[in-house]
Amino acid sequence: MPFREKSAWIMSVALLLGGVLYFGAVVSRWSESGQLTSPLIPLILIYTACLVVIAIVGHIVIAVLAPKDANAPVDERERQIFSRAGHYSSYVFAAGILISLGIYLISNSGDLLFYFVFASLMVAQIAEYFLQILFYRTSI
Amino acid sequence: MARRPPISNRVRELRDQHGSMTQAELGDAIGVTRQTVIAIEQNRYSPSLEKAFRIARLFEVGLEDVFSWNE
Repeated sequence: MPFREKSAWIMSVALLLGGVLYFGAVVSRWSESGQLTSPLIPLILIYTACLVVIAIVGHIVIAVLAPKDANAPVDERERQIFSRAGHYSSYVFAAGILISLGIYLISNSGDLLFYFVFASLMVAQIAEYFLQILFYRTSI
Repeated sequence: MARRPPISNRVRELRDQHGSMTQAELGDAIGVTRQTVIAIEQNRYSPSLEKAFRIARLFEVGLEDVFSWNE
């Protein structure tokens, strides 16, 4: 498996895990208090820190296991893979933003807008990594 | 997902004819990763014109001796 495909796996798993934990905490606070709580900076910082730690540790491990692959420059096929995955995931992000704006217009809740935009960002990023993995394994 | 173009190649055959050159060696010689060489050999990826010429020059054959359009 190419180094950058392994990297995409690490990042998608990290984002999925982080997303589940973050939104799990948000939903849990919501059900406890009976109302949607404002985004908490410490929770976002914990999410970001977890993501950074998983990404750094994961990349160190795969780089140590295959140092030659890790140092190899991105080739023309990989550039196409990244470009195409980024292109399609931008549509996912745009759709998420449109949905978020629609929800804001209906609910008039800034907190809900924040959560939906944040979720859109996560989903679009996860989609980008999954598309990279898909394109690595199929024709491009 | 992109549709495969009707292009086939003899890269694997030419590698075997050149002292069983490995995919990694070919990749290093033309400036792509081993995985890209695998994708080319399996017709999952059509290389750029530059890489196609590099492959042909490496094996000292013409471009159409390596790649062919099947239609």
